[in-house]
Amino acid sequence: MHHPDANRQNMPPRDMSVPNVTSLDVLLSVTDFPTGWNSAIARWPRVDVETSNLAAACPQTVSISLRKARIKTIGLTFPELPMIDEQTDPSAGQRKNDRTCKRVKGAQARSQTRIAPPRDIIKLEDRLYYLLQPPLETILASAAMHMPFEPFPYQYQGIAFLYSRYSAILADEMGLGKTMQAITAVRLLLHSAQLRSILLICPKPLVTNWKREFALWAPELPLCIIEGDQAKRNWQWQELSAPIKIANYELLMRDREVVLDNNLEFDLVVLDEAQRIKNRSSTTSQITRAISRTRNWALTGTPVENSSEDLVGIFEFLSPGYLQSGMSARRMAKAAGDYILRRTKDKVLTDLPPKLYRDAELDLTPEQWAAYKIAEDEGIVQLEGMGTELTIQHVFELVLRLKQICNFDPATGASSKLERLEADLEEVAASGRKAIIFSQWVNTLDKIRQRVAQFGPLEYHGKIPSKQRDGILQQFREDDSKRVILMSYGAGSVGLNLQFCRYVFLYDRWWNPAVEDQAINRAHRIGAVGSVTVTRMLTLNTIEERINQVLEEKRALFDIILSQTDAPASLGLSQDDVFGLFNLRTSKGPLKSAA
Amino acid sequence: MTASGSKPLQTVGFLTVRETEEHGYLGGYLVLNPAGRPLEFHCTVPVIPNRAQVILYGPTLKPFIYGEQIGQTLVNKANSKPAFVCVDVEAALTLSDHTSCPVLLVSPNSTNQTPSSYRHDSAHDAPPTSHTNFATFAMGNNRVSLPAEHGDDKETVTKRWQALTTELDLWEPFGRIHEAIGEAQRGATPRG
Repeated sequence: MHHPDANRQNMPPRDMSVPNVTSLDVLLSVTDFPTGWNSAIARWPRVDVETSNLAAACPQTVSISLRKARIKTIGLTFPELPMIDEQTDPSAGQRKNDRTCKRVKGAQARSQTRIAPPRDIIKLEDRLYYLLQPPLETILASAAMHMPFEPFPYQYQGIAFLYSRYSAILADEMGLGKTMQAITAVRLLLHSAQLRSILLICPKPLVTNWKREFALWAPELPLCIIEGDQAKRNWQWQELSAPIKIANYELLMRDREVVLDNNLEFDLVVLDEAQRIKNRSSTTSQITRAISRTRNWALTGTPVENSSEDLVGIFEFLSPGYLQSGMSARRMAKAAGDYILRRTKDKVLTDLPPKLYRDAELDLTPEQWAAYKIAEDEGIVQLEGMGTELTIQHVFELVLRLKQICNFDPATGASSKLERLEADLEEVAASGRKAIIFSQWVNTLDKIRQRVAQFGPLEYHGKIPSKQRDGILQQFREDDSKRVILMSYGAGSVGLNLQFCRYVFLYDRWWNPAVEDQAINRAHRIGAVGSVTVTRMLTLNTIEERINQVLEEKRALFDIILSQTDAPASLGLSQDDVFGLFNLRTSKGPLKSAA
Repeated sequence: MTASGSKPLQTVGFLTVRETEEHGYLGGYLVLNPAGRPLEFHCTVPVIPNRAQVILYGPTLKPFIYGEQIGQTLVNKANSKPAFVCVDVEAALTLSDHTSCPVLLVSPNSTNQTPSSYRHDSAHDAPPTSHTNFATFAMGNNRVSLPAEHGDDKETVTKRWQALTTELDLWEPFGRIHEAIGEAQRGATPRG
């Protein structure tokens, strides 16, 4: 080992020129000690071999299948519906190529009316069947389904409403075209093979009207008008070649045995002016309810004519037991809502000419007034003297007597109404217009006729034979010398189309505002060429004024039951109303109805 | 034009898919005669893609579900072979690759009314793809488009349309299908 101090010690002095080199023994002495390990050092080392697998491990995988899953489907197949049989409509082929005919042009662009399934159709397939039908406009616009005029949008809705319903009330206000809507719905169902036999029942005076409307809106459909003697009618009822039979209510009663024959079955029965069956105990109601049928529709502008019970009566035909007497109006309206479609002119026909009311409030002539006072005073005294014997009929007799005096003085024939009427008719005739005059009495109409002879009055009331009535209407329509037609409420209030008339006079007032409305709407309906002026004649300070007051209050409530709110018990004059007209009292208080 | 060379094809198919958050995808296929009357209707139960499909298909998910899964299934279910199939959403055009019928994308015209219950899903709301990828032409009152790769179908489609002698509005039936799908869905849903 070379020690540093040793090196420094052996270094030559700085002043020496020849280095002096000295060797130094650096070997260190080692001393061995015996440890006893030497034998172990002499042995061969033992070597153990360990093998390691260095191959990479396989990663775990998750497979995601992207195979297409099998999708469940629901499938429906509809039968190929037959198109209109061109054989039955000889003009169809010509129309198909005639692009100028009055088709429903542009209907698709304006609106599309879809057929919605009614709530009482539960089965999905049936609901989808209606939902998948094309819009009505598309069906009707097809070349084969000719329409003489384009229906209004609300009429499309009415057709769609009827089309899908087995039970329905089309309760549009008079003049909105219930007839046309029913005919078109029938037409569609016939052509789609959903109907084969239809029975339409209407009041007798309206049979020709239906015939005419069918000829206009569905000329290809064969009709069978049930008429003639018993043998002929028996054959007609059983005859199958015409799919549509038209009968009147009166005849139905005479042919009861045949109609209710087990073999006679209809796919659809339509009741026009269905308020005829509002009384469930009436023979008419009983017969119509007993007719074997699959579908039933009721057409009426006044489903609630007097009270909500009227609706119960109609539903006994549509769906027996669905509505019951005593149901609250609100509950009844909710239950019946899906079965009833009602529209009013002011809502849907904003472009219909206006209906102008011009109440003629007149004072009685002195002669009339004298007669009136005597009759009223004596009558009331007489009624009060009857005590508990008093009935509604007694009061009615007095009301009718007083109303007749309001029309004419029985002794002299003086009439303030007639004076006014004559003056008004001169104006009507001078302007080239025509007028309808309504009264509840044929006797009154007779007297009017004599005084308005210069206007060529025609008559249309219960004493005119049915066979003559169509001719009278045609003459009124076509003969310019006939400016006036005199009608009774009973004969002339329903179903007639007199929209060429611009004036309506209510010479006396009916008991029920709905009947008055029907009368007025003979003129104020689709096709009216101008405003319709309605003159309601009313003598002041008389029974007429008191009745009018009651009716006006009820008129305001007419639509309540159809707007799902509580309705009054009666919309016409009730017994209490009639008694109230004279404020009749006994010593125990106001008289109660004894009838 | 005929399918087999002899009998003209007298029906038109309409395919659409409704997408809802709650139920996934519901397909409907309606076959109409030239007068627009329904002959067949087929719809699917709800189709809900799984998470993997959503991730792996990415932007191609809807074309896959609309055209390949739903469209192909429904068209194959129908008994009648249509002259062509109309779709109202571009994603359904992928059906073209899975059927021998020409598949047309129909655009609404200005007079078409769209029900409030209609066109509410993202596929229907998607902006139309640039028409550079389409062959677009008029049929009746409607504009229709064919995918560019199937542009050769235009002649076939036009001839078949003329043979139908129809005035069908090719957009209107989609409204019916959407309503029917909704009705079927309501019918299948338990009412509480």
